[in-house]
Amino acid sequence: MIKMTCATALIAATAAMPVLAEDITITVWAGGSNEGDHYRIENIEIAADLLSREAAIHGEELNITVEGKRDFDGWDGFKQAVTLGAEANNAPHIVVTSHLDIAPWASAGYIVPVEDYVDLDAWPLNNIYSNLMDIAAYDGVQWGVPQDAESRPFFYWKDTFTQLGYTDADMAEMSARVEAGEYTLRDMLADAKKAVDMGLVEEGYGFYPRVSNGPDYAQFYQSFGGELTDPETGKLLFDRTAMTEMYQFFVDAVEAGVTRKNHIGTEWDQWYSEVANGKAAFWHGGTWHYGRYTGKEGNEDFFGTIGFTLIPAGNDAGRANTVTHPLVYLLTDQEDDRAEEIAAQLVAIASEPRLNTLHAIKSSHLAIGKAESGLDLYAGDRWASEATEVLLPHANAQPNHPSYGAFSEAMFKGLEAAWTGIQTPEEAVAEVEAQLTATLGDELIIR
Amino acid sequence: MTRQTLLGLGFLSPALLAVVMFFLLPVVLTVVFAFTNMSTSTGILGGAYQISESDLRRLPAAGVSDEAVTLLEGAGYAVQPETLALFAAEFGEDRASELEKLHGGATFDDRRAMERALKELRRNPLRKVRDRKTAAELFRVSILGQRFATEAEFQTAIADLGVPDPDRAALTTAAYTGWTFTTQNFELLWKLPATWRYALNTVLYVVLTLGFNVSFGLFLALSTFYLPTRTAQTFRAIWFLPRILPPVLYVLMWQWLTWDQGFISAMMRPFGIEPINWMRHTATHAWIFIVLINGCVGASLGMILFSSSLRAIPETQLFAAQVDGANRWQQARYVLLPQMRWPILFITSYQTLSLLTSFEYILLATDGGPGRQTEVWALAAYHTALSNYGGNLEYGLGAAYALGLVIIGILLSALYLRFFNFRELVAKPRIEQ
Amino acid sequence: MNTKGNWILILALSLISAPLVIMYGFQLIDSISRPAPGGIIPQEWELTNWRFLWTSIDSARPSIWRVTFNTFVFASSTALLVCAFSITAAYALSRLNFSARRFFLAGLIMLHAFPTITLIIAIFIVLQFLGLYDSLMGVILVKAALELPFGIWIMKGFYDSVPWEIEMAGVQDGASRFRVWRELILPQVKPGLSALLIFSFLAGWSEFILPLVLAPGADAQVLATYMNAVIADDTRPDYGLFKAIGMFYALPVIAVYLLFQKRLMNIYGGGTKG
Repeated sequence: MIKMTCATALIAATAAMPVLAEDITITVWAGGSNEGDHYRIENIEIAADLLSREAAIHGEELNITVEGKRDFDGWDGFKQAVTLGAEANNAPHIVVTSHLDIAPWASAGYIVPVEDYVDLDAWPLNNIYSNLMDIAAYDGVQWGVPQDAESRPFFYWKDTFTQLGYTDADMAEMSARVEAGEYTLRDMLADAKKAVDMGLVEEGYGFYPRVSNGPDYAQFYQSFGGELTDPETGKLLFDRTAMTEMYQFFVDAVEAGVTRKNHIGTEWDQWYSEVANGKAAFWHGGTWHYGRYTGKEGNEDFFGTIGFTLIPAGNDAGRANTVTHPLVYLLTDQEDDRAEEIAAQLVAIASEPRLNTLHAIKSSHLAIGKAESGLDLYAGDRWASEATEVLLPHANAQPNHPSYGAFSEAMFKGLEAAWTGIQTPEEAVAEVEAQLTATLGDELIIR
Repeated sequence: MTRQTLLGLGFLSPALLAVVMFFLLPVVLTVVFAFTNMSTSTGILGGAYQISESDLRRLPAAGVSDEAVTLLEGAGYAVQPETLALFAAEFGEDRASELEKLHGGATFDDRRAMERALKELRRNPLRKVRDRKTAAELFRVSILGQRFATEAEFQTAIADLGVPDPDRAALTTAAYTGWTFTTQNFELLWKLPATWRYALNTVLYVVLTLGFNVSFGLFLALSTFYLPTRTAQTFRAIWFLPRILPPVLYVLMWQWLTWDQGFISAMMRPFGIEPINWMRHTATHAWIFIVLINGCVGASLGMILFSSSLRAIPETQLFAAQVDGANRWQQARYVLLPQMRWPILFITSYQTLSLLTSFEYILLATDGGPGRQTEVWALAAYHTALSNYGGNLEYGLGAAYALGLVIIGILLSALYLRFFNFRELVAKPRIEQ
Repeated sequence: MNTKGNWILILALSLISAPLVIMYGFQLIDSISRPAPGGIIPQEWELTNWRFLWTSIDSARPSIWRVTFNTFVFASSTALLVCAFSITAAYALSRLNFSARRFFLAGLIMLHAFPTITLIIAIFIVLQFLGLYDSLMGVILVKAALELPFGIWIMKGFYDSVPWEIEMAGVQDGASRFRVWRELILPQVKPGLSALLIFSFLAGWSEFILPLVLAPGADAQVLATYMNAVIADDTRPDYGLFKAIGMFYALPVIAVYLLFQKRLMNIYGGGTKG
């Protein structure tokens, strides 16, 4: 199909059509979505109902059928399905995916900008936090609309903390101290070691990180002063010192006996049940973990047992930080521009504060817009409100760069090699650097 | 053409058609892809022509003059006589004159700003979003971010923009979003240290698994050979099941056996051994289980083939050996094994080839971990081409990996053909003699 | 004779087979019981793990019966195609003397060496041009084509072991080669054919990566992708549930094995000579 950023001709053509009953099917595929995330699809269904009613008032009959699918074989299966589907011209109309997909998919022509169809200055899109909107933009074009927000906090088990000699007042000050850089990852390591030595937690459970690759590890790179992109050129940035120190930090954690050498690849099931019940002293996770800890894992006193802060700084060069990794609604390129237009409007309506709050609270995510905190459902949820307040103002996102995936993958593989003792941090960094230089070439700045 | 040839080809044709369509054609395409930079970003079935904001900084390196870059960089939307005329034609003179009064001569960086300007029309506002979108597009003067389906359209657009003639070819090449031919995949494979490690891993994997398969298949065949039928059948069934159980389920069973709270850990706890993930604890653990998982699947093939060759050995030879006082070990060593030379060679060569290209069990069991220590060549091809957390799948590079395997496979099978005396294998059908 | 030696052999074999037997055993036990937390001894017998049969375990997943039906269609169509194409092609390669025969035979052996799965992007393009991407039909054709070299090779082995005299006799009686094949030779390779049919059915039943990549839509889900998606969904890891689904998935395999054990073991019957 011929693609243009403007849809002039077709819009004109559809406008001239006589008023007839119009039947249209909109498919929505949501990646990485579990039972609790069903509003990613259901909000589109609600939006379809609203849009049909609006059309009815104009005297038009618009019947929208929404077909949702979210039972994919992990992110890999979902991304294969969307990209190959787009090549085969039968991609779903709307996809819910990571914002990192925008760059490659836009370049391949799989997606169309949402800004072609909706007014970004009008309600409800003008209510969405502008930094989140930026995350859904690439190359100066608004490709998608944020579907949810989250952030990845650092957690500690309060009981263990008390036994380490901290008072309630200390804990109340924790987030402020972390934010100011007064409590660093090194302090945490010392505390974790103490907890292991005192027998408060078992060996290997002082610091209990994420068990697989994810945006979380970019946070530790930033804790040690690493930046992901060069703001001037938009190129990816590889900071040798920060990377080495970050690898070293995990190696030290293993050597001190606070983290297991073979920690990566632990079953998620086991991991959740352990951290939610105080088996680990420190760990990091996501805001959506709240739902899992208090739900399936049966922690009934979340706020009494678990404290949370930003990811602490690692050294003077770094900063306390957290990464937000919002999913976004994207529109795929369709032969029928009318379908693209309807899909865009559905996405806009689904971003209404009331609808998005349904998703945010149901799935323990954070709001995408200011107005949501005014709703009782959202404001009444202690976790959502506190997490929004403590974390979101400091959250940054990973860059929308076509090669960021390769960067992130290489960074993690290097970390894994150092962590498991296969290479020293220096060797691992050197190999990652060699690989990235070879694959990214001019798109990478080494510092 | 003889009747024989016609009949032969006729008999072959359904199979031939299927194999050519879904096997040979893909092989040829893979060879082609190996020489391209195809990835998610470039798309598979072709590209379009587009210059985006982030492309601008790459253009000088691609041989486009600064003058042309400045031209492209120019503001996106301009309220000037030409664009106003277009606007007037579509939305009326009075709107055009009001806009000229408000913003005549102004330029806007992006469409959002242009739409805001259009919202300021008071006398006869553009009320509908879609009208404002259409109107805003009329003021577009830049081609940044615009997608052109064909080269000709793009050429016209840059000519209209006034890009100097000498720059056009380079600019067009740089603007193409689809894949292009290149040899960089092979240079990359050559340069990356990981490539060599994967190659080494593959050798390790094939040799160890093959060793396990053949020796174990032989052991199973020989030992069940001596047992009463029913007992032998039971053991054969136990060892045959891995081959026919679905891999997803079979690997799940191993995972249950080895994870931190799994069977081995539970059995070891009374002995004071800390629970660990036995499959992923270290690279050595992972390798042991990779070999066991694949070995148990492969051993049954050897077991079946060897068993039937054993049954074909005349019993009189065994009786003779027994009369001579040979024990079972001696019987196996001096009577049975020498006659098994061909089946053993066959299994070895057959399985070398299938192991080289197989990765399904590794994918499900360790996914190449820990730290890519069990990543074999075929799995690397799969990961590169089809699995990447960040979303940019590198089809071209993956195909280059696959091509490496294809070449090794062809060389090996050519070798085997010589070795196994191809001429005997294709001995002329006797009926025509 | 030599019963003591037999006992030693049986003991050795039992020890070596123990891990597999333990896995099989707990596969069954865990699917119908609940182990103590952190332990492996079953506490209570219950059928809740089998709930996926009558309720939906997640509103987004298709019904297990639908998926099972797909898997059955996929496996049996693949098996039929492989057999239909193999019996003719293998006969030609084994018995008919035509000019390109050597070439095809060498090609057949070479095909074994190809990394089939890594061809998947190219296969996608072919399917896409045929309009068969994301359809069960497409995956069936691909799977059948990929299994063909194996099938032809096996069938050729069986044809090779049919005595020439049978065919000679037929030809001398004045029957055409085609009639000889259909009426005299085919009955001779029946055991091989049924073994191949069963084997390709099982191969189709187990196939995971092809449907995963080439038919991701809900309409073409098969049990392998269904089960892997349930396992991959990290909010509900539940080995009891996995094992029950696995049991359900494996039942036909085990049934086929018990019914056709002899024939399956014969699959390489024709291919034993070097």
